[in-house]
Amino acid sequence: MSDRVFGVLGLYRDADALLAAIPEVKASGFTRLEAFTPYPVHGMDEALDLPKSMLGVLVFLMGALACVSAFTFEWWTSTVSYPLRTAGKAMNGWPGWVLVMVEATILVSTFTAAFGMLFVFNKLPFFGNPMLETDALPAFTRDRFALVVMSGRGRLDVEAAKAALRAAGGDALEVIPEPERVRASAGWWMRTVVGLVTVCFLAGYGMDWATRTYPTVRPMVNMEVQPRLDPEAPDAFFANGRGMQRPPDGAVARGYLPILAATPEDAGKELVDPLPVTAAVLARGRHMFDLHCAVCHDRLGTGKPWLDSTYQAQPVDLQSAPMRDAADGFLYWVISQGIRTMPGYAADISQDDRWAIVRYIRALQRSQNATAEDVK
Amino acid sequence: MRRAGAGLWAALAVGAVGVVGTFAVDGAQRFWANWILWFVVAVCVALGALFIVALQHVTGAMWSVPLRRVPERVAALTPWLVPLALIALFSLPVSFSWTQPGAAASATVALKTSWLNYPFFIARLAVCIALWVLSYRMLVGGSLRQDKTRDPAATIRLRRYAPVFMILLALTLTAFAFDWVSSLEAGWYSDIFGAYLFAGAVTSSLAATTLLAIYLYRRDRLPGVTPDHLYNLGGLLFGFTIFWGYIAFSQYLLQWYANLPAEVFWFQQRTMGSMQGVFILLGVGHFFVPFLALMSRRDKQNWRRLRWVALWVLFMEFVDVFWLISPIQGAGLHLGWPEASFALFFVAAGLLIVRRAMGMGEHMPVGDPFLADGLKFHLR
Repeated sequence: MSDRVFGVLGLYRDADALLAAIPEVKASGFTRLEAFTPYPVHGMDEALDLPKSMLGVLVFLMGALACVSAFTFEWWTSTVSYPLRTAGKAMNGWPGWVLVMVEATILVSTFTAAFGMLFVFNKLPFFGNPMLETDALPAFTRDRFALVVMSGRGRLDVEAAKAALRAAGGDALEVIPEPERVRASAGWWMRTVVGLVTVCFLAGYGMDWATRTYPTVRPMVNMEVQPRLDPEAPDAFFANGRGMQRPPDGAVARGYLPILAATPEDAGKELVDPLPVTAAVLARGRHMFDLHCAVCHDRLGTGKPWLDSTYQAQPVDLQSAPMRDAADGFLYWVISQGIRTMPGYAADISQDDRWAIVRYIRALQRSQNATAEDVK
Repeated sequence: MRRAGAGLWAALAVGAVGVVGTFAVDGAQRFWANWILWFVVAVCVALGALFIVALQHVTGAMWSVPLRRVPERVAALTPWLVPLALIALFSLPVSFSWTQPGAAASATVALKTSWLNYPFFIARLAVCIALWVLSYRMLVGGSLRQDKTRDPAATIRLRRYAPVFMILLALTLTAFAFDWVSSLEAGWYSDIFGAYLFAGAVTSSLAATTLLAIYLYRRDRLPGVTPDHLYNLGGLLFGFTIFWGYIAFSQYLLQWYANLPAEVFWFQQRTMGSMQGVFILLGVGHFFVPFLALMSRRDKQNWRRLRWVALWVLFMEFVDVFWLISPIQGAGLHLGWPEASFALFFVAAGLLIVRRAMGMGEHMPVGDPFLADGLKFHLR
């Protein structure tokens, strides 16, 4: 218990008496006032003329900082550090980053408001308030209204303050001593930080140990456990212990016969279209052509790619005279093996589908170079 | 006051000459684009005001009772939507892409013909307008009658009808937004568009309410109303500004991400070329300016600042609808004397209507049993 003074307290009968007393006490020269009331009193803020809380400014600054940081982070990661085009958008696709910026702003603003209020303005970890030690505590938490003349750094003319409070109608005057304010020592902070870190490690490693020691209990396994081989999973059936087996050397997949001809010209002489002439074959050819070929050769085979100008290759015009005159086998060989920048599709499209594409190209060529007889 | 009235009538006359002149000089397309623009603005302000009135009944708010007559007077625009709509119907063959010959050749437009056809379109408009005028008679008429009868039961009836109106408003305003804005370019899809127009409607009519409330407050016609009441109007304006920004950006972000030709052409017309400036003005002016200007408590209690922000937000509502509708006339910025004449005509007409509505009943709903509680409202 020090001999420094926290403040001088006076009790008032009701809220109106308190509001009336405040300007009187102020007129006596005491400006640092605090009121303690059982319930919020309208007009108290204006009467006490409390300074505006800085918390709003702090929250705004931290929120703005978070917003800018989130933008900078997204911009740096996706434009500078590892330039990445997302979904064909231009570089700096900032509209997609706005969600992150908004979320970061809200998170940091909320944390600043909560922790700023607790630690910066309410001065945690200091607990307790000298008002809790006063004799008037039961009164101003029940039905009386307290006005306290606060001391500035422990200096206050106690008698003058008492006189001012009494003159304004206060009674039960009480001098509140300044408590021994024990600052949190370096040791307290050390113990707190070490304690928190220890708890985190214990919880993390404890959880890790527990899940290893006591395997997870699955309440439902209906679809999770199936008699099935997952890719790359081990299996005891084969001698080498693998679930996936290589095909024997020389095995040929059905529908994927390799081509023996060495050049497209040879293939044009040797290979004959084996498919029957049906609408189903043409429809299949159209489907596969639109799926695999049209992106570069265009739906009509004109060789005008749909891709933008950054795609530099120039696909062949399938409507040109050399292509119209080329043999079926020639086209089949090129589709299978690829030519110049065009990759081969032998692994992706079955041989029947490749022939169907050839058939459809023929139909396309005829449709774009139709003669009068074709229409009759 | 009388001089102000004469000025408004003069502005109305000058504007009317310009409006007719637009049709004669610039042709039907520009005339109808501007007519639809102001029709949509009028619907937004009138329906937004009815929404604010209904919101007070739904929430049972007491602070707003002294101010409730203000949005009720702004809602007096509602019956005038009937002539506006009747004239706007003549724009159907000119301005709407689905009425053009050959529109059904587009697969997406052909899909929508069961919704977009003359009989159903006109029937929808008739139902919407009828429900709005009916709701205006129920909500505002009931409140005005209470001035004389002082019957507390009227308040209960209003509170019963308000939620029904909310549901009707959600459905009718969505249909109106799809019909009168989206379907101008019938190939476009945006499911959120009804909410977009609703957000603009509430912000603009909140701004109109705030302006009118400050006008009356300054002239001591609202005795007992304090800056704390105005603070709440500013708070609502702030909140709905954020709501507008959220909805507007959600719509933009999804279509930007998906980048589908059926959707993105609409934004291409509105964000590139000469509309780019309007687009940036809209994003900054409709969201960031009011957001920052109304952020702190002191700004919302300061009626001078609130007045400027409200005026700006009203202007932004015009920019918003201009941005939505003007590009149907083709590339380029369609801004000149025709647009100025339409603005003069419709702003003068709106002010004259609201001015006449000032004579409706008392300045406060004196029959409402919660008026005294509302006047006691304090922020702290």
